[in-house]
Amino acid sequence: MNSQTTPLNYSIETENLSLWYGDFQALIDVNVKIPDGQITSLIGPSGCGKSTMLRCFNRVNERYGNVTTKGKIEVLGKNIYDSDVSLPELRKAVGMVFQRPNPLPISVYKNILFGLRIHSPVRSLTRTESDQIVEEALTAVFLWDDLKDRLKVRATSLQLEQQQKLCIARLLPLKPKIILMDEPCSALDAKGTLAVEELMEALAGTYTFLIVTHNMAQARRVSKECIFMFLGELIEHRETQALFQTPEHPKTADYVQMRYG
Amino acid sequence: MNSLRTYPNPRQKYVLQSIALVTLGVVFILIWNVIKKTHVSDVPVSSVPRVPDPLSRLLSDLYLFLAISFLAILLGVACAFYLEEWLRETNWIRCLIEGHVGLLSGVPSLLYGLLAVAIFLPYSGVFKTIRTFVPATGLETTTFQGDTLLFYVTMLAFVLLVMPRVIKSTQEALRSVPTPVREAAYALGADRWQVLMKHVVPFAFPQVLAGGCRAMSCALATATLFISIYVWGRPTQSEQMPDMFALFLGGALALSIFASFLFGKYPPVSTRHT
Repeated sequence: MNSQTTPLNYSIETENLSLWYGDFQALIDVNVKIPDGQITSLIGPSGCGKSTMLRCFNRVNERYGNVTTKGKIEVLGKNIYDSDVSLPELRKAVGMVFQRPNPLPISVYKNILFGLRIHSPVRSLTRTESDQIVEEALTAVFLWDDLKDRLKVRATSLQLEQQQKLCIARLLPLKPKIILMDEPCSALDAKGTLAVEELMEALAGTYTFLIVTHNMAQARRVSKECIFMFLGELIEHRETQALFQTPEHPKTADYVQMRYG
Repeated sequence: MNSLRTYPNPRQKYVLQSIALVTLGVVFILIWNVIKKTHVSDVPVSSVPRVPDPLSRLLSDLYLFLAISFLAILLGVACAFYLEEWLRETNWIRCLIEGHVGLLSGVPSLLYGLLAVAIFLPYSGVFKTIRTFVPATGLETTTFQGDTLLFYVTMLAFVLLVMPRVIKSTQEALRSVPTPVREAAYALGADRWQVLMKHVVPFAFPQVLAGGCRAMSCALATATLFISIYVWGRPTQSEQMPDMFALFLGGALALSIFASFLFGKYPPVSTRHT
């Protein structure tokens, strides 16, 4: 695979990662290495632990009580369960986009600055700086032309597609290394999906993307590597085209050829 | 963006509110008239003993109780924030308090009033006893606190009345803050305080306020109940009554209407979002 061409750096590495919700084991001994600067997709039937795994990587899982995590997760070479890890810093480096666009119910402008404001001392941003940051972020997600006259509009009143792009734009001022996406297009129509995919492709390289999707066509289109999970276990992790064309594991074959269920 | 709202349309709402307002007003006027008549006609003025009446003390105590209720409401809001935001759902303290709150907040406020009155009235004979011992001049300054048990019992009734209500309504308000908003803020690296101050509080505020107003309105209504029952029992000391009665009852009505207005104007956040 890729390792033959260049020695890859990995953004995320897990070792025997297991996770329980109460008594229910949602992840079973997952070992995975997510390469730097690429789009990696996670597929699998509902309830197989894709989202759970994604949420482990910036520790948003912990907000729900009753979660036990075992094993090791290294993000950018640092075990994120070490006691000296600061959650705000981790979440700054590992951004997350959710299934349903969740812009904060404040203006577009403030949405983009929110992340930066909570990570920097009060009033350390000047007006010009923040204007510039907002423009850069919106330009990066191709929203600037649409929204430059409507920066004061409540973000929740935008179209869903724009909201989702805004949710991505909101991460950029924080300069994350990794962006986790949990079915980012499931609430969008075809055009919106395409727009988000284009955006991801444009941004890949600068950022490492890890995307959970139920849309296999999307996984094939956008991702370089693909991970198939089933009932909490990682079944197969290969280059996308290879995984879809010549699946090694029968379960993967069933799933990618839609015989699952 | 309001397509998800399932509330009655504004006109309907205002009609309902005004009907409620008129009904309450009529009830209020009727009660007041009945009380006024009772006092004016029933009692020959000459028979009223010329001693400072215990009513003023009762009132000063009621003011104290109301102040305590107000503090209890603030404490209740703080308590609800702690339970909802800091403790996990499985935490035993939270389970214990929520269980009790659920039990207590289901009790109608009238029942609390009656409960307190049931303790209050038998003891109010104490006034007469005190009067025989204490020089008349000192009476105005003598407060209820002379009878500590009674004082604390009544205070407890007020606190028990307002706290569960305010804890419950605040918790509901906090729960109504949509999870996506919290998740978004947490995922951007905000800590608990930042999420709380920048998103949860601004969102839940109208409802927390409404809950507090309702609880305070309950306390005022109970105070009104005290006065009315007390005065009805002793029609002789009626001069001050109507003022305070009107003040408390008016306050109770105003607060409860304000609370309804807040609920109407700012429906639970989860339905406002997207």
